[in-house]
Amino acid sequence: MKVPILTVQNIGKSFKDKTVVNDLSFQVFEGEIMGIVGPNGAGKSTTIRSIMGILYPDEGKIHFNRHGSAEIPKRVVGYLPEERGLYKKVSIMDILLYFAELKDYPLKKARERALFYLKKFGLEGKEKSTIEEFSKGMAQKVQFIAAIIHEPELLILDEPFSGLDPVSQDVIKNEIRELAGSGTAILLSAHQMNVVEELCDRILMMHRGQQVISGTLEEIKKKYANFKCVMHGVNDRTKLSELPQVQRATHQGKVTTLFLEDHVHPSEWIKNLPADVDFNELSISRVSLHEIFIEIATDHSPEGSGKSA
Amino acid sequence: MRNSKKVAKWEYKKNMKSKSFIISLLLTPALFLLFAFLPGLFDSLSQKDEVNVYVQDEINALKGIEPSLKAQGITWNIEKTDKNMSSYIKEHENTAYLLLDETAVDNGRLEVFTNESMPQTFDQELSALAGSIQLLQLESLSLTPEQTNLITQGISIESVAVSEETKEENPLKRLVPGILAGAILLSVITTGMMIFQSASGEKKEKVSEIVLSSITPGELMQGKIIGYFALGMTQAFVWLICLLPFFIWKLDFPVVEYLLVPETIVLVFIAILGYLLFAALFAGLGASFEDVDSTSNFQGIVFILPWLPLFLIAPVLNDPSGIIAQAASYFPLTAPGILIIRLSVLEQWPWLEIIVALSLLIVSIWVLMKIAGKIFSIGILKYGKNATPQEMLKWLKY
Repeated sequence: MKVPILTVQNIGKSFKDKTVVNDLSFQVFEGEIMGIVGPNGAGKSTTIRSIMGILYPDEGKIHFNRHGSAEIPKRVVGYLPEERGLYKKVSIMDILLYFAELKDYPLKKARERALFYLKKFGLEGKEKSTIEEFSKGMAQKVQFIAAIIHEPELLILDEPFSGLDPVSQDVIKNEIRELAGSGTAILLSAHQMNVVEELCDRILMMHRGQQVISGTLEEIKKKYANFKCVMHGVNDRTKLSELPQVQRATHQGKVTTLFLEDHVHPSEWIKNLPADVDFNELSISRVSLHEIFIEIATDHSPEGSGKSA
Repeated sequence: MRNSKKVAKWEYKKNMKSKSFIISLLLTPALFLLFAFLPGLFDSLSQKDEVNVYVQDEINALKGIEPSLKAQGITWNIEKTDKNMSSYIKEHENTAYLLLDETAVDNGRLEVFTNESMPQTFDQELSALAGSIQLLQLESLSLTPEQTNLITQGISIESVAVSEETKEENPLKRLVPGILAGAILLSVITTGMMIFQSASGEKKEKVSEIVLSSITPGELMQGKIIGYFALGMTQAFVWLICLLPFFIWKLDFPVVEYLLVPETIVLVFIAILGYLLFAALFAGLGASFEDVDSTSNFQGIVFILPWLPLFLIAPVLNDPSGIIAQAASYFPLTAPGILIIRLSVLEQWPWLEIIVALSLLIVSIWVLMKIAGKIFSIGILKYGKNATPQEMLKWLKY
């Protein structure tokens, strides 16, 4: 049975007259990676800052299920903010120990974990270096270590992959998976939909402060993403757009993407394709999370996609 | 409070490991000692020019003169001679010829012939001979030793104000604790200014959000204030350790005894209040500025505020109970410095004034801490920009 670690209930936050988060509710469970996605200004960071107690929501409740009191148990939460940095002129080990101390984590254990993770992330022997001597990617790895040094129950990662090269992204991705595997509840905010699809067990999509989609990737795709057919061939564009059960079509050179209506049965639809349609390659798949995200972000309602706000 | 202590410890350790802080910590007393020693060093170098004085003693007076010169620290090489040496000294630097004869005693006129090149102090040293010649004159009058003493002791005039208590007290007894408190105030205010850099640095390095995911803004600000206070006190302690032996050695009064008086506690307490006032100011402002290099005139003015008492030193010392001194004691930004200056020179402490001034100061600290706390908690997370005074006013309403 899934054990909830964090419960967010109907929270709302406004700055002056502008509502930034409105009636948002979700839960994060033990050992789960929950993705929180949405365009810039959707209210993700405000939600995260509210969970961290850096901002106070105007309404609603945030409950850490294993901790009874209304106070946020900051020492069991790890946080990697979107806008991040570290003390530039202090040694890496001193910084990591300071953050561990702030979380009431035993310093001896923290030192061991720091050395373990520095080695794991390819920074062995760098504990006496300062951030000034590091590349951006190396610094981000240290920031990630700082967020997990105290073995948090809940780890909140706001855009953890921004600015990372693919190799470093993989290192962090693997670590996130390992942490979730060992029971850490992870709330991850990211822009890269491929990463979210790859990592997250459940996804919450926000737009203009509200939840627009939530569920597992499969659930979301089943519920919100229709099929699309990508065709490589030379065809009359108007003719393809007028095919039965096609909502709309996009064309790029010889590649045409046909967005199909809701409840289309793919094999039936292929059978009914006219014989004169030319293609040397054809694939049918569900619309990707990225496409759903783009449609929401650009306010293009995916007609017939079954998407609801 | 536990979290504040952690922040305080961090800030303290971070600075104590910083080379620039350690250099400035040791350089201050070193410079002080250098400037204290330098004039003495130059003096001793100039004294290396030995003076040879040839004395033609026709009245057998040298026996009486030599001990008197020695007692006054005059170290001439005195050589007796039977002949006139005026032509000899013309050729030799730092040489003088002195004729002690009846004329000197009868007319009170002593002729000393010197080379063109003599130490600057020589003329001054010559005046030491006047007393000895005067004694010879009195002896020639056949006065009794008592009569001689009476004449030579001179006349001193002392003015005694009858309206005040005439209990005589060494002014150094008040001045020494005042100097200590002043040094502590100077030390803690300079480290207090570092709170500004620390807070704005955390904004610039975008580290405050990570820190605030573990503790509250109030705890962070409190921790910084405690940490930099400890740093300032350490600095003052190091200064004291380095300089105290020098003072004990050089000064001819019991410095330690003068420091260990109840007045020191009151003066140091005032210095601590001064620190808290400016620490709150710098914490609040530091959290609202990110780029120290491009800060406005407004910030420049704030940095001048702790040094306001320096502009008032002259009128306050001129009249420590005057209207300027009193007004500056009640104005929170000048109160700590001015109170320390006044109480270091006043014979009688105006306790009512002190209590009122300190009460005003404590209330001001409380208000300023509240304001700084509000500005700090919002400003520290506003990355990428410096806040305007208008914005800060707006934050106070949240």
